[in-house]
Amino acid sequence: MNNRGKWRGLTRLWICVASTSVLLSGCWDRREVNDIAFIIAMSVDKEEDGKYRLGVQVPLVGSMGAFSGGGGGTSGTKNYYVDSAVGKTLREAQAILQSRMARIHYFAHYRVVVIGGGLAKSGISKPFDIITRFPENRLTSFVVMTEGKGIELLEAQPQLERFSGEALRELVKAFTIPVSIKDVAQMISTPGIDMFVPVFKPADTQPKGNRKEVEAMGLAAFRGDKLVKVYKRSDAAGIRWFQRYFTPLSLVVPIEKGWISAEFLKGHASVKPVMKQGRIHFDIHLYSSVFMPENMSQLDFNNYKAINELEKRLSEEVTNKVTFILNESKKHRMDPTGLGAAFAKRYPKLWENKYKKNWRKELSHITFRIHSKVEVTNIGQITNSLMKEGQ
Amino acid sequence: MGKSNSQQENPITGGSFDVCDLVELEGIPIASELNDNIGFLEQMFSESSDFVIRRFQLKNSVNAAAIFVDGLISTNEVNEALKTLMVLEDGSDRIEVIEEVLLPVSQITRVQDYKGLLQGVLSGDTGILVEGNQEALTLGIRGADTRSVNEPEGEAVVRGPREGFIENIRTNTSMLRRKLKTPRLKMKSLIVGRKSNTNIVVAFLDGVANPQLVDEVTQRISQIEIDAVLESGYIESLIQDSEYSPFPQVMYSERPDTVAAALLEGRVAIFVDGTPMVLLVPTTFWMMLQASEDYYERFQMATFLRLLRYLFLAISLVTPALYVAVTTYHQQMIPTTLLLSIAAAREAIPFPAIVEVLIMEVAFEALREAGIRLPKTVGQAVSILGALVVGQAAVQAGIVSAPMVIVVSITGIASFTVPHFNAAIAIRLIRFPLMFAAAFLGIYGILVGLLIIVGHMASLRSFGVPYLSPLAPMSVGDLKDTLIRAPWSEMEHRPTSLGVKNARRINGEFVSNYHRAVKVAQERKEKERGRSDE
Repeated sequence: MNNRGKWRGLTRLWICVASTSVLLSGCWDRREVNDIAFIIAMSVDKEEDGKYRLGVQVPLVGSMGAFSGGGGGTSGTKNYYVDSAVGKTLREAQAILQSRMARIHYFAHYRVVVIGGGLAKSGISKPFDIITRFPENRLTSFVVMTEGKGIELLEAQPQLERFSGEALRELVKAFTIPVSIKDVAQMISTPGIDMFVPVFKPADTQPKGNRKEVEAMGLAAFRGDKLVKVYKRSDAAGIRWFQRYFTPLSLVVPIEKGWISAEFLKGHASVKPVMKQGRIHFDIHLYSSVFMPENMSQLDFNNYKAINELEKRLSEEVTNKVTFILNESKKHRMDPTGLGAAFAKRYPKLWENKYKKNWRKELSHITFRIHSKVEVTNIGQITNSLMKEGQ
Repeated sequence: MGKSNSQQENPITGGSFDVCDLVELEGIPIASELNDNIGFLEQMFSESSDFVIRRFQLKNSVNAAAIFVDGLISTNEVNEALKTLMVLEDGSDRIEVIEEVLLPVSQITRVQDYKGLLQGVLSGDTGILVEGNQEALTLGIRGADTRSVNEPEGEAVVRGPREGFIENIRTNTSMLRRKLKTPRLKMKSLIVGRKSNTNIVVAFLDGVANPQLVDEVTQRISQIEIDAVLESGYIESLIQDSEYSPFPQVMYSERPDTVAAALLEGRVAIFVDGTPMVLLVPTTFWMMLQASEDYYERFQMATFLRLLRYLFLAISLVTPALYVAVTTYHQQMIPTTLLLSIAAAREAIPFPAIVEVLIMEVAFEALREAGIRLPKTVGQAVSILGALVVGQAAVQAGIVSAPMVIVVSITGIASFTVPHFNAAIAIRLIRFPLMFAAAFLGIYGILVGLLIIVGHMASLRSFGVPYLSPLAPMSVGDLKDTLIRAPWSEMEHRPTSLGVKNARRINGEFVSNYHRAVKVAQERKEKERGRSDE
């Protein structure tokens, strides 16, 4: 009985301690889903007076169909809206935005960050501080750039997706080289590689409809955190071979009085840096695997030599693409393909002591040689066009 | 009352005895005067219209009486017995002669005291009192109406025997005996309840069950002092280790094959008269999640079903809590498009998620209860009403959201996958505190809740066997019949956690011993032949 009394006292003490600890905890972050404004995409622009403009795209969940009773008072057909505010810092802009939004901003779900052209030119590392620091943010969200104002991309109203943010994300994943916030951070902080991001712009459908689509335009290459040049889709193709995951692309190649479409399904580059008489030389081996969906040339694929010829032509094309990019990086002293990183892996001491600091300067002196190998693995269901006359 | 002077003078002769329970009649001897006995019985059973005292004379004109309860006996057969005494057999008036020579009744017992006599008579025997004898006979000619053996409704199977226990304990024990035809099957008889005098049979396999366990069970049952035992639940409640735990520590089954299998594992079965539910001890948590069919189906299927049950057990326990936690604290964990759908569905809902989930869960529990209690004809109306009102109308009216309806129905279905009803009840109850924990502290709260639950379960014992064994404490050999169901050829041993004596189940020592004995006998024969040749 005595023993039991002692236990009872202990239990009471524990209950007291436990209950007060619940009451004392200040972090009472219960938020119902209908008290939250989910930010699906955001844009960062630089204003002319040096302030930052933060644009957010917020879905109006009440008008999104689904199974809701009355409620959710929204008008019009749009099921999201875009708002922006200006501040000396992004947090200030966000605070201004928040003060006219009834629901708490929730940043854990944005799909893309759009960088405006002005900001890209003046350097993106300052606004990226909060994007990487604020714990709600997702490092796996994608970063894209637009040459005009970032907010214009948010205002586009694509037909197929509910929000332009969602459309951007799908496009980035499918048709460009996806670059996430984490990738940007890594590319900025790693010496020997420079960042690049996909470029989008709002585009009209043809014939012109009342909505704007977003279109992947190409690639923006940076030196450090500042924009250097924007390349067209086909010009920037060479970078894809240097990525860890090759994203498929298709090229149109002139051959034999006509054109052939080539779908590059797999691709890989192995970069071998060599020191030749004190100068840096790169041996670059490129491998590609190609599917040919369309043949508008005179090539006769009943003859296996045609495939050899096509492979030869395609490898020339790949060499041209990569050469273009490498020459561009030599010219602009930037390194989106990561040659410096490859060199650092091979010659770590030399890199640390000699080249790390002035790699950009060194870039214009490097030489390279490209060995390209293309395999056409698939020419489709027919060898010769069914439309062609029998010979 | 009156026990002290029973030696000198039989207390029943004075007429001073009040109506009392059978226990108090222990040791009260039967008087040799028939009239004393009849007077006493008439006093005891005054105002009992069903109690019959039939006076008659043996063929040699000695007075006698038959006492029985109308409705509990088989009238024709009692008539036969009386006919034998009154008309056919002419002989002694001594009770032992009547028992051994005169009465052609297979079940017949000689009793000395009123407790034994009335125990038999009130259970359906017919008592025979004869003038000048201090003993009486009880004839086991019972004929009360019982339900026929039916398919057990609580534990239906696709493959397997379709007989279930009924309310009559003798029928039940016979069904068990039919499964295990061995002298090792022991059935200890006990009587519990001052008013009900319920027959209880403790069945076990001698040589398999741990004798200490059997002693413990018998001791716990015999210590029970209660008015009446109307269902095995009374016994369960009174012999289990922790009464205040929501987890049942005694399993019940209405299937003879389940009981037989439990005995073969070294467990002890407790039959209670008047109920088809037979208790099985010791019980572990995993037993609740196993159906008898697991052992009859192919082992791959049985294993798959077991894993499925474990999965759905977890789902039925945490899904509502997880939904509340994730939608109110951890929105970042939900894929964006799903989150937007949830947000869209919740847009018009006036309540916070926890209130919403409570409305739905309570409504669902009420529906389920109504479905069980209502007469079958009304049941359909209830289910339509439930599906329409709770399901669709509540969503359209904007009281609850559609995802919540899905969560609650998944939880409901999941809780039905637990084969044993009382384990499912524990899970149903625990769900609610978990929901509150989730509403207060998010996933952290759920984890704390689960830790407390697991800790509690690990501390439970059922007759000395840890509730979570063989998982905690781990005994690797038993796992092949816990998480999975190994093929029978692999399950050579009985579960070790029960401390069984004879661990081998198949390919056992018996066979090898037999072969060894045959070999020895042959060798000896050959030796003898050789000797005789010399």
